[in-house]
Amino acid sequence: MANSTAPSCHPDQGGSVALLDENGDAKPLVALVGPPNAGKSTLFNQLTGLRQKVANYPGVTVEKHVGTTILPDHRTLELVDLPGVNGFSARSLDERVTRDVLEGRVEGLRAPDALVLIVDSTRLETQLMLVEPVLELGIPTLLVLNMADELEQRGGAVRDDILAERLGVDVVRTNARLGEGLDEVRHFLVGVADRGPLPPRPCPALSNVPRGTPLPMVDQFAVRRRHIAEIGRAAGFVPPSPSRLTERLDSVFLHRIWGPLIFLVVVVLVFQSIFTWASPAMDAVQGVVAWSGGWLGRLLPDSWIRSLLIDGVWAGVGSVVVFLPQILILFLFLGVLEDSGYMARAAVIADRMMYRVGLQGRAFLPLLSGYACAIPAILAARTVEDERDRLATIFVTPFMTCSARLPVYALLIAAFIPERPILGPFLGTRAATLLGLYALGALIAIATAAVLRRTLLRGKRSSFFMELPPYRIPSGRSILLRLYDRSRIFLRRAGTTILAVAVILWALTQVPQINGAPPSIDDSLLGRLGQTIEPVIRPLGFDWTIGVGLISSLAAREVIVGTLGTLYGVEDPTQGSLQLQEALKSHLDLGAAVGLLVFFAFALQCTSTIAVMRRETAGWKWPILQFSYMLVLAYGFSFLANWLV
Amino acid sequence: MIAVAPTELRLIDIPLREVVELVRIDLPMDQMEPLLERGVLPGCQICPVHRSPSGDPIVMVEGTLLAIRREVAKCLCVRRSGSNAA
Repeated sequence: MANSTAPSCHPDQGGSVALLDENGDAKPLVALVGPPNAGKSTLFNQLTGLRQKVANYPGVTVEKHVGTTILPDHRTLELVDLPGVNGFSARSLDERVTRDVLEGRVEGLRAPDALVLIVDSTRLETQLMLVEPVLELGIPTLLVLNMADELEQRGGAVRDDILAERLGVDVVRTNARLGEGLDEVRHFLVGVADRGPLPPRPCPALSNVPRGTPLPMVDQFAVRRRHIAEIGRAAGFVPPSPSRLTERLDSVFLHRIWGPLIFLVVVVLVFQSIFTWASPAMDAVQGVVAWSGGWLGRLLPDSWIRSLLIDGVWAGVGSVVVFLPQILILFLFLGVLEDSGYMARAAVIADRMMYRVGLQGRAFLPLLSGYACAIPAILAARTVEDERDRLATIFVTPFMTCSARLPVYALLIAAFIPERPILGPFLGTRAATLLGLYALGALIAIATAAVLRRTLLRGKRSSFFMELPPYRIPSGRSILLRLYDRSRIFLRRAGTTILAVAVILWALTQVPQINGAPPSIDDSLLGRLGQTIEPVIRPLGFDWTIGVGLISSLAAREVIVGTLGTLYGVEDPTQGSLQLQEALKSHLDLGAAVGLLVFFAFALQCTSTIAVMRRETAGWKWPILQFSYMLVLAYGFSFLANWLV
Repeated sequence: MIAVAPTELRLIDIPLREVVELVRIDLPMDQMEPLLERGVLPGCQICPVHRSPSGDPIVMVEGTLLAIRREVAKCLCVRRSGSNAA
């Protein structure tokens, strides 16, 4: 079966022995494979709990979930959760990554020593289409029939002993969500640990279609399908009757009138709660930051260290950490909507509009999560199979108003827009301005996508179809684990990038020292640098302090708030946000303030996004194009706003 | 090549709740493969169960619900069960 040119499962290069136990021996690696929505990640979370980490596969932004599971006898195994796939044709990034991991071609990850193939029992026959290519790899495999209880509740049946015999693999039943059947899975893992890592071996290349016979593809799939149907018949597989709950819910959620209405309510609810629910938590975080800064300030003697910690680190990092609650609330909603099955329906409802623009309904979810942060949104676009669609989607994602813009908007609006009611108590001028900025971002994103799909990324409108999973109650454990992941990623960024920017900016305001004392802000190195670039931004009504803010905000948009705080208040580090608003008014007029708002709505002020775009598109072409396009738009519209107002 | 009969039925023409058999997929290979992987193969039974608010069919195939754009549904040739006219 394996031919001689097949790649080795254990490549020599790239740290293939990354997974070592405390004795320095390689731990066996088990990969979880399966179609989307079969319960793979739920099983992975049950087996690993918090002993998991998220990273990216080298070269692509597909997230790599690797975790450790502890066996009943206290030995440990390495587990990798692969993206859900229906086949191995490598059309999408997910399929490519899954195939590469299984074939042992990913740097820093050995070929798996065993596989756990998880399928949704209620759709057993189509899900088993994956079984043949997976078994051909010759890696010991456990077949997990997930949601077998649901199959039986809905009148279906299958004999797993016959299935095991016919397929030549171990078969167990689980309900991953409730944690049932995990002992049987662990029993298989004990066997893997007993055997230890497999010796290096050549690995047959995975393919979607059976090899050997040069039949047309349709026939090859038909042959495989017949084979699976035959096994299913032998194992007494009775398909379940359709889920009544799903049918009833769909007749509401996909209703001609109710469907779009509910969709709109859900979007508004998510959006609204990001602001309303988050504010108590944000106040609490802000309180902790202010209190700890004050405590530290009193503790330390008046020295450059205190200035660095309070004016630099606390002001910079603290201003960002405050936004953690908002991000968690967004991901809580996204998690519930996705795991319950509603997100797929939302994508169907949004699909027609996306189609007119030239995008897929699947692009809806990445764009929606762009309201939190463009980076996970760009990652989420990996589910968009068509390459041109995916490029267009990630190109316009940074126009969606990410949470990093919020502090900038909030500060400027509070300083320059007087509060007057528009719709009684429901909507005031300030809220309306904020909503307008969000709408502006979404509109320009849609317009840009429409233009791109007719010019640079012209192509066939892809044939959209989407699987609608049955409605299910989301697993709290899975969602909590994801929130934990997100917090860790977010805080790590605050502790690295933003910390570094804060320290560098602070240092630049301290030199050159005059008689051992820091210079005035205008004479500092930062001030001089700022004054050099001032002519460029003068037409927008910005002075050099705003210019420095704009440059520092390249690290992360919200940094401008901290930067301006430092610049305007270097003489008086105890100033609050009200003084910052007052100080802003002496640096900007209304026209320039509106210009600055518009600038932030359009410009790609985020090096992390640029880095992710470079990795995602495998080159500099798209990020450079994206950055320039957004900068030109930002500059142009900002100029216009300054001139008009 | 199979000649297209003038009376040939497409999935888009099938009313809700009627079960039909898929005869042929008139799509280029790269667009057809994802359908094949999900068991949408000639010979399988398809039943439209809902319409999306914008009128695209949502069908049940092999126990899986699929939302299909009407542009794709126009490319799926089907026949009513009981008729063996092919």
